[in-house]
Amino acid sequence: MIQKAAVLILAIVASLGTLSAQKCDLVLRGRVLHLENNQAIEAAYVWVSESATGVATDANGNFVLKNLCPGPQTIQITFIGHKEIKQSIVLNSGTNNLTFKMEEQAVALSGVEVHGHREVVQTTTAVSSLYGDALLQVRGENLGESLKRLAGVTTFSTGSTISKPVIHGLHSNRILILNNGIRLEGQQWGAEHAPEIDPFLADELTVIKGAETVRFGPEAMGGVILVNPAPLPTSKKQETELNLIGNSNGRSGNVAVAHSGGSGKIVGLGYRIQGSTKRAGNIQTPNYFQGNTGMSETSLSSALGYSTDKLGTEAYYSFFTTELGILRDAHTGNLSDLLEIIENGAPFSNAEFSYSLANPKQVVTHHLGKIKAHYHLNSSWKLNFQYGFQSNHRQEYDKRRGELNTRPSLDLELFTNTAELFLDHNLKSHWTGSIGLNLIQQANTNVPGTGVTPLIPNYDLINGGIYLLEKFQKGPLELEGGLRYDYRNLSTSRYLGNALQEKTLTYQNGSAFVGGLYQINPKLAFTSNLGTAWRPPNVNELFSQGLHHGAAAVELGDTELISEKSIKWVNSLEFESEKTTLELTAYANQIRDYIYLNPTGETFVSLRGTFNVYEYLQADAFFYGFDLSGTYSFSKQFNGYAKGSIIRAKNTETNSYFPFIPSDRMDWGLSYSFGKHADKDNNRITLSQVLVAQQSREPDFDLSPAPPGYALVNLGFSKKVKVAANGLRISVQANNLLNTEYKEYMNRFRYFTADMGRNFQLKLNYQF
Amino acid sequence: MKNLRKVTLYLTALLTLAFASCKSDEPTQENDGEVITDVSLKFQELNSSNALVGSVLSFKASDPQGIEVGKTPTIQSINLAKGKKYQMTIEVTNAIKGEDITQEILTEAAAHQFFFLGQVFDSSFLSIQYADAGGIALGLKTTVTVSPSTGTNNSSMRVVLRHDLNKSFAGANNPNFANFVQAGGETDLDITFPVIFS
Repeated sequence: MIQKAAVLILAIVASLGTLSAQKCDLVLRGRVLHLENNQAIEAAYVWVSESATGVATDANGNFVLKNLCPGPQTIQITFIGHKEIKQSIVLNSGTNNLTFKMEEQAVALSGVEVHGHREVVQTTTAVSSLYGDALLQVRGENLGESLKRLAGVTTFSTGSTISKPVIHGLHSNRILILNNGIRLEGQQWGAEHAPEIDPFLADELTVIKGAETVRFGPEAMGGVILVNPAPLPTSKKQETELNLIGNSNGRSGNVAVAHSGGSGKIVGLGYRIQGSTKRAGNIQTPNYFQGNTGMSETSLSSALGYSTDKLGTEAYYSFFTTELGILRDAHTGNLSDLLEIIENGAPFSNAEFSYSLANPKQVVTHHLGKIKAHYHLNSSWKLNFQYGFQSNHRQEYDKRRGELNTRPSLDLELFTNTAELFLDHNLKSHWTGSIGLNLIQQANTNVPGTGVTPLIPNYDLINGGIYLLEKFQKGPLELEGGLRYDYRNLSTSRYLGNALQEKTLTYQNGSAFVGGLYQINPKLAFTSNLGTAWRPPNVNELFSQGLHHGAAAVELGDTELISEKSIKWVNSLEFESEKTTLELTAYANQIRDYIYLNPTGETFVSLRGTFNVYEYLQADAFFYGFDLSGTYSFSKQFNGYAKGSIIRAKNTETNSYFPFIPSDRMDWGLSYSFGKHADKDNNRITLSQVLVAQQSREPDFDLSPAPPGYALVNLGFSKKVKVAANGLRISVQANNLLNTEYKEYMNRFRYFTADMGRNFQLKLNYQF
Repeated sequence: MKNLRKVTLYLTALLTLAFASCKSDEPTQENDGEVITDVSLKFQELNSSNALVGSVLSFKASDPQGIEVGKTPTIQSINLAKGKKYQMTIEVTNAIKGEDITQEILTEAAAHQFFFLGQVFDSSFLSIQYADAGGIALGLKTTVTVSPSTGTNNSSMRVVLRHDLNKSFAGANNPNFANFVQAGGETDLDITFPVIFS
């Protein structure tokens, strides 16, 4: 390993100094971008007439021309659908760096394609994405599980079906999920509340690992997850994608279809409709079934867009509904029940396989609609508007007596309006940026009739924000900074016994960031981002007062809590050569007044038995860690990858550890591609291993000690075949091949049960 | 341009409407349906021919608030005479809603069961049998026999009500089954009554 690292460092150093002293020895390095959105243009052709050399840009829009002679040169850049750039430059010495921005050509010309108006996040902070092949591999998994493939992202889960993404140790209300650009607003505060989104709607899942409060608003403290559909087609073509997935564990089936097309008559008109459905039964651990862990899920999304050269509009709607069973044994009556099952280490109920769901269970539906428009005032200025409406309905059923069994014990309806107006500028000089306003309005209602005093009150929330972002881009250097101010008003009301309790709270805060990217050489880039973020206390942290049944705990909120404030510094180094890619991210996150649930050490005694009492407290916290991921091609057929992450989190006031911080982990794998003729990637076998260490940094109090570390082996095979001139991809995957019994520290059900055992998966993907 | 202005106008009107109509409802008072506030153990003496004689002795455990942190339930001491045999019936109520939960438990007899534990049984001061109608193991009605010679006059009895258990689990038909947790389900009641023998 050390040797390999040394070789790598040598390679980096060597590539840094590619200068030698000859006459025609100058180097021109550059980047070609869309003027409209700063997206890289791949395959633009760059020609220098004086020296009669040319080159095409790579996927990142970069190009390098070597052996140029000093003096005036004419550069010509062409790319379909864009105005040609013809520019005279004077090359003096050494390496020259330039950035070119290409303007789209008028649509009226026949045969010219209007390209989709896809918004890309321009950020200098560490970003990782899942798309293409990597995304295909995780198809059928929920959002949390899918994103686990990225270094630095783990999950905080409740059994095998509920999982929440964790970015650099933070989750729930400390990260933001954007469904096609709209911040997903559900009841994220709950540990057992999974994000209400189907990853099938995305053609790319992106994780921004920095504090992105300035761009996206409060709560983007740990990072942001973008669930982005493909851009809508703008020309006449029809595409359909079909996915069929089956799993042996849980005996689940999953069907997903997406169809997109563009109009032939109206140029720039495109649509997409997409849907998926899933049904699963009880999950099996190596030695037993987990009772009542089945689920069903259905989702739909549709989009309609119309683009001209000046105007881009889109209407989007997505629907998500799920019914999830909760492991029967995890719902305990009191503390002694809980302790007995923890001591047993496995469920007492001797479950069999079944698809049927009983209480306890969750039924959640989520609607999201948005309209979006942008208008190019001129080639440099663009006005954007976006409005989103969301309705979230969450019902949680407990095992109760008689007629109450058919009534949810938690029944919440949350409506959210979001509106955004911002003005982008993308000047021909080196400056780009935007200034914007955004508004969030939310209304939460406890639907009456549950027969349980609500956990959180009814509330109305309004949040207004104003922000400014500016970026300077010149050759290999990008510098950016931003400022934001937010104001939030929260007014709540509820009955406590017979008394009406009403409370209005306001929070306000500013946040700022600075960041930079430096392309040290075409293979190596360095980014650094320092950002502040804040998060007002959430309603459950302020108002919880009562029994959390499943956890045999009484949780007490505190209305005096103040906002959390953080400052996060993320640095990342990316290296990419023909054989090697390497990405190293290091970060430190100082959070003041971090809110956490602390066991008081007291118990509450009732006729039902005894319960532990927890209260929400605030303390200063310090998080830091590293993510490393890399790939290496040993040969055309033989490839390897490795990735890992380390997180350290401490309560710096009491010098103790927080619960549910991911332990050190890595996974690595080798793949071998083989096949006939032209496409050597027809067949691929991948063997991989996941290694997770025991969490040795445990909090002072936990119901049971952290489970030991574990290693899992996965084996996969995928094959591409041609069916009627279209691509059919078949893959077979065995997860936890050796049927290892293990418990993951980040799974809240580790107290009750082992994790999922061996699973065979068959996946068919057909595009036509 | 005129069109654009119109669209903007409509859009603004629509948005204003959307934002104005997004309001939470007034909260309503929720009567806790699941809560058990009172549990009464009623004892009536059985004579040698198993006929009920004498008056009913009632001992109560109550928690008027249902669930409120910092308050503990009030539990009365059970007074029983040595050497006598009693029929014990259990009444469970929710005083907040004025509901008799006993009937619900009886209706859902297949999913409920009382277990009786604690020193009175460990030291054989008491013995207990299920005496519910239909011969089922439920425990709303039991017969309790007090040993003629209890070593002490002060002891305790733990009453546990389990819900959603596997009633055919090996050993679960014994009212003194200490490993009731293994039969699955969850605890609805777990009360330890002091017992005084006279």
